[in-house]
Amino acid sequence: MNPALRRARNRQMVIFLLACSGMLVLLGRLYYWQILEAHSGYNLAQLANEEHTQVFTLDAPRGIIYDSQGRILATNVVRDDVYIEPHQFSIDHPLDAQSARNSLIATLHRVLPQVSVASLQADFNTDMGAIRIAVKIDPAQSQALQNLRLPDVFLAPRTWRVYPGGTLAAQILGYVEQSDQSSTGVYGIEGQYNQLLSGTPGSWTVETDLQGNPLTVGINNQQVPVDGASITLTIDSNVEYMVETDLAKAVQENEAQSGTVVVLNAKTGAVVAMAGYPTFDPNNYGQYYNQMGCLHTEQVYFNPALYCAYEPGSTMKAVTMAAALDQGLITPDTTLQDNGCITYSDAPEVCNWEDLAYGKETMTQVLIHSANVGASYVAHNILGVDRYYPYLERFGFGQPTGIDGPEQAGSYRQPCGHGWSPCSSDWTMSDLTRQAFGQSIEATPIQVAQLYETIANGGVMMQPYLVASINNNGHITTTRPTVKRRVISQRAAQLLTGMLVQSAVQGFAQLAQVPGYSVAAKTGTATTQGISADQTEASVAGFLPASNPQFVILVKMDRPQKNIYGSTAAAPLWGQIAQQLVWDYGVPPDLKQ
Amino acid sequence: MSKNRLEIYQNGRQQRNKIRVPLRQKWTARGYQRLSPLFFRMRPITLCICSVLLISLMAILYLSQLGQAVTTNQQIQALRNQEAALQRQNSDLINTIAQEQSPAYIAAHARKLGLAPANPQNVQVVLIPHLQSVQHQP
Repeated sequence: MNPALRRARNRQMVIFLLACSGMLVLLGRLYYWQILEAHSGYNLAQLANEEHTQVFTLDAPRGIIYDSQGRILATNVVRDDVYIEPHQFSIDHPLDAQSARNSLIATLHRVLPQVSVASLQADFNTDMGAIRIAVKIDPAQSQALQNLRLPDVFLAPRTWRVYPGGTLAAQILGYVEQSDQSSTGVYGIEGQYNQLLSGTPGSWTVETDLQGNPLTVGINNQQVPVDGASITLTIDSNVEYMVETDLAKAVQENEAQSGTVVVLNAKTGAVVAMAGYPTFDPNNYGQYYNQMGCLHTEQVYFNPALYCAYEPGSTMKAVTMAAALDQGLITPDTTLQDNGCITYSDAPEVCNWEDLAYGKETMTQVLIHSANVGASYVAHNILGVDRYYPYLERFGFGQPTGIDGPEQAGSYRQPCGHGWSPCSSDWTMSDLTRQAFGQSIEATPIQVAQLYETIANGGVMMQPYLVASINNNGHITTTRPTVKRRVISQRAAQLLTGMLVQSAVQGFAQLAQVPGYSVAAKTGTATTQGISADQTEASVAGFLPASNPQFVILVKMDRPQKNIYGSTAAAPLWGQIAQQLVWDYGVPPDLKQ
Repeated sequence: MSKNRLEIYQNGRQQRNKIRVPLRQKWTARGYQRLSPLFFRMRPITLCICSVLLISLMAILYLSQLGQAVTTNQQIQALRNQEAALQRQNSDLINTIAQEQSPAYIAAHARKLGLAPANPQNVQVVLIPHLQSVQHQP
């Protein structure tokens, strides 16, 4: 071979071998990183994926809560949180960090006056990756910050629960406790139906560009979120507002500690309104953490109508009369001798209010006079233990009503040895004689309202309910009025209604009268053992129109100072609410004027 | 070309012309030619130019596709942002409507307009015999 050609061949061979060795080195490194180190301690494959793959959480909007007229009681809005990136800022401004920072702080403070300059300076000094400087800013502030395009400042949207009516139906609704990771409904409907309202969040795994924008190519897995169910309540916002406003006014006028109102549909058991005072604003629930309701025993977040058990007083005389009428042991005209006090061999003496004696009186007059003597006489001498306690149970006392929401069961003592559960070994006959007029028994306002609803509905107890329907992404569940049980006969209910009408007309509930309408109502003024007799639970329970009952109303004032009786503290409010109800619902009058 | 190289080249050609190619090799060459995708012979330079042109064409096509994908991606991103903004606007509007429908808001505005709640003492209830109430439409 020609020497020149040989040299050329040799040169080619050297270059070829160099290229081959270079390729071998590269292949070796490639093998090291791609195979040996890919799934070792560094987990390079995962790190690489994380670099360009992001998992976005797709929020499921929390379900909306409506009133019975379709007005929104709870909905959601999106508001921005503001973050700054102090570490990135110091990298971006190596030379003029101080002046640039001061300028940025001044701009941020101008747009967000609620964030102080001092706190902004402290945040920038942390050198953290990202730090939140403001939460839930106004839409105008969001817009201003977006327009400014400030470096190392970004907005993160977050969904918030809002209650457009403010305090309206707050104790029915509860509120949503919101943290960075989750939002949880607590108290009321929000708590009771939290899982349904929350829905199921989805996720979106996608490859992103350097700015974090999703790419159309590459990995793209989407798990669609399931929206929260919408709930429609039986509450009528207009009535609820009227009841809440009037209750607040009445509590303040009577200088009471607190108050409660329950309005039920007499035919169905649906709750038309349910109010407590004091109440809270679920939009700013944190401000009320130290405020107490229900005689300072529970936080203001609890619904007192379901959670505040009290001694109902004379409104319970309706149960005593109902039990005796249902068993045919008395008629409205059955008489007894009322000397102001009655003595028993097996129980302490029972007296009327201020020991007033009414002489010979009928059972109707027992209700008109609200005579404790008459009621305890019926319970002790006519009914007895075996014929009284089954009615307390059938009227639902001492057991939860089963309404939508956390509630107390109330309690009363009943004797052992009769097969009743629970029973109290320390029960005495004194319990029976006092329970007959609403002492020595604790009931919630909804239980007392349920008692009067049963009488109004001809002796048939309906299941009280707050939720009219649930729309779970098109799957609608409607609550149908449900009969719980027949408690007393229709005849007994009619007779008792007549007695209650007389009681309202001639007795202490005269201030609860509504012109043109027959009202069946009973007042109650209960005292609590161990505290002063002028510290009362003043209440009125009843329904109207008595001839064709539409609404059951219970009004309760806790420890009113100005007017301490049910007849003066609660009855005017009862009448006011009843008047408004018949106007709003166009209930025709049943009395000739 | 240098003289030596020219000689080598010419000698090679002369020797090659003298060589008698076996019949089997001829057939194989013809077979390769038949299998070749091109029906004409190409000189190396032409082949290189064609290859470069082809690769350039493919690159242009790829880049245009990529460009379209990027544009579409930007459009999708813009639409997503628009959707989020509209959803936010919608939820704000729902909230505003709910606020303005709330009884407290209506009562406050009614008071501002000089309206006052009716006094029960001034209300006369007129009872019309045999009047049927109008049923609510579902």
